[in-house]
Amino acid sequence: MNSNFSQPQRQSLIGVVVMFADTFQGTARALWPFLIVWVWKINQYNKLYIGLAVGGVMLLVAIIAYLKYLNFTFFLDEQNEEFVVRKGILNKSRIAIPLDKIQQVNINQSFIQRLIGVHALEVDTAGSNGKEVSIRAIKESLAVSLKERLLEGVRDAVIDDDEFNSKTSYSRQTINKPFIQISFLSLVKTGITSNYIRSFAVLLAFMITIFQNLEEFINVTGYDDSPLDDYINAEVLLKFITFIIGAIIFLTLIVNLVRTIVRYYNFRITKQQNGLLLSYGLLNTKNTIIRPEKVQVVTVGRNYFQKKFNLNDLKIRQASGTEANDKDQKKTAIEIPGCSENEKNMLLQFLLEKIPEKGVVVKPNLRKIIFESFKLLVIPIGIYFLFAFKIEPSVKDYIIFVPIYGVFAAILIYFAFRNSRLFVSDDFIIKQSGAWDIDNDYIAPHKIQSVSLKQFFWQKGSDVGVVTLHTAGGTISFGLANFTKLNELVNYWLWQVETTDKHWM
Amino acid sequence: MQEPFLNETIDTLQLPKYEGVVLTPLHPSYFKIIIFNIGLVFGLLAIGAGLGFYYLEELNPYRLTITIVYIVILLFTILINVISFKNRGFAFRAHDVIYRSGAIATTTTIIPYNRVQHVAVHEGLLSRKLGLAAVEVFTAGGNSSDIQVPGIDKDQAEKIKYLLMGKINPQQDEQQL
Repeated sequence: MNSNFSQPQRQSLIGVVVMFADTFQGTARALWPFLIVWVWKINQYNKLYIGLAVGGVMLLVAIIAYLKYLNFTFFLDEQNEEFVVRKGILNKSRIAIPLDKIQQVNINQSFIQRLIGVHALEVDTAGSNGKEVSIRAIKESLAVSLKERLLEGVRDAVIDDDEFNSKTSYSRQTINKPFIQISFLSLVKTGITSNYIRSFAVLLAFMITIFQNLEEFINVTGYDDSPLDDYINAEVLLKFITFIIGAIIFLTLIVNLVRTIVRYYNFRITKQQNGLLLSYGLLNTKNTIIRPEKVQVVTVGRNYFQKKFNLNDLKIRQASGTEANDKDQKKTAIEIPGCSENEKNMLLQFLLEKIPEKGVVVKPNLRKIIFESFKLLVIPIGIYFLFAFKIEPSVKDYIIFVPIYGVFAAILIYFAFRNSRLFVSDDFIIKQSGAWDIDNDYIAPHKIQSVSLKQFFWQKGSDVGVVTLHTAGGTISFGLANFTKLNELVNYWLWQVETTDKHWM
Repeated sequence: MQEPFLNETIDTLQLPKYEGVVLTPLHPSYFKIIIFNIGLVFGLLAIGAGLGFYYLEELNPYRLTITIVYIVILLFTILINVISFKNRGFAFRAHDVIYRSGAIATTTTIIPYNRVQHVAVHEGLLSRKLGLAAVEVFTAGGNSSDIQVPGIDKDQAEKIKYLLMGKINPQQDEQQL
């Protein structure tokens, strides 16, 4: 491609549509509480005024969108080696990103962008929160060549680095040939077997929102009492609860399935010069690059069903430019769902340079069960009883749930204990954890940034404690386990980190 | 002729032990800062409570309870801080820095020098008067992995900073090759 980027240029003209959609979405999001109220009272107003108001807003949005389009330009400053974006209607801003600071360039496509045939190009830099620059509408060919130009600076550095480390660089011939492709069937299997908790949470949040809106609606329409109260008696309630539980299970499955398919449809992994290019999505197509040297933690997760179906979920945590906390790191992890055992091994081989072997096993101390029971059984149930007998007697009605919760929590604690293991070999540290979804976290010792050991004063006598390994992609904790053994391992890992010439990124 | 490649088994028990290192305690003057901080917080609380007792008559029946709770919390805070102060210690080894802290739970954090991103020296208003400084060591592992060692003599803190800078820089030169 020999497109010229040295002159400031605008986005594709048709991108005005995307701008319009973005602005409209922003406006709607800002105004939705008013909109809902208006929708309920729509009959009270004159249709003409509503039409005029809607038309006026639309026109305003359209004008803003067009101005945004006019004022957004980007170009490549060859002399200063910067990528420059100018934007803003009233508040003008000029963002210049030095090429060597660019971490990643992603080309994505949302549903609207797909309809009109343009792509979004996002530039990710070190030391910033979120995407610094995003071009909302650009032709695919232009996007690809711009991406290549933007990454040239980075790539030169990386190749130097690679030669220095005498790694093999992958030839250009392998580009464009899918390395791994996740089939539709695998996605369906993944959809019905995984992420129950997450889908359940989504569903719950959705139901709560609906319920609240319903209540608000009832209040708005002016009923004094909730009309629901009149219909409730014991038998109906029981039937209702059974129905609800059945419906929740069914809906969770459906939500899970749809979510997985929409999100990960046509998941393709292609090898590139120094990394893997992932592209996926049914409505919004996403493209992400994973570079092995940036990978800090790889997690392979599967539950009992997935084991039977030969499926693995991979989560890859890369070093982020920002010093984000652990929760954010987990959110930004890249997921590869539905890999077979074979595909999983190929990916691990590529990302970690070899397939990790499980080495020496470290088991947790039996006190872990006591500690967890205290945390999950004694304290919550204690709080419940305190509440029920001292503060709010009406909570007693739910006492039936106490044994159910107790049994459930006990089973979880037992299985979590049984699955909790740390495997240590010369090249890898593998932490296995989880009660139902069993995760294996893989880290190479030279990715460790620092180590901490924690011990409560009552744990000194019994010689148990917790070890935490900090990496640039999040932390890994293991314990309670024999503290002498952990100390020995920490000394070994420190020795490994301090003598290695491998860099963590 | 190249040197013969050696790859002997490492006896992990022969490796230097971090837990055997004698840690340097914090500067005794730092305890004054801790006491000052506690005094400040509890002094303000006492003033608040005093004003409350004086102006709000509803509080009268609870005077004794509030006073007892206040004293218990004060004593507990002092106890925790004394233990925590005695517990804290740091050591700069040839290849890493060790910092131990905590009262109820003791946490020991170790950062190898070749993973240090940068070093900062902080001086508070009070600590400057006492000639103390805090050394903060940053890694790429996020906030939870960083170490902040308070209560170090100011000259020593500067020396530590240069020591760490010296340890970081040769490595960066290597990277640029």
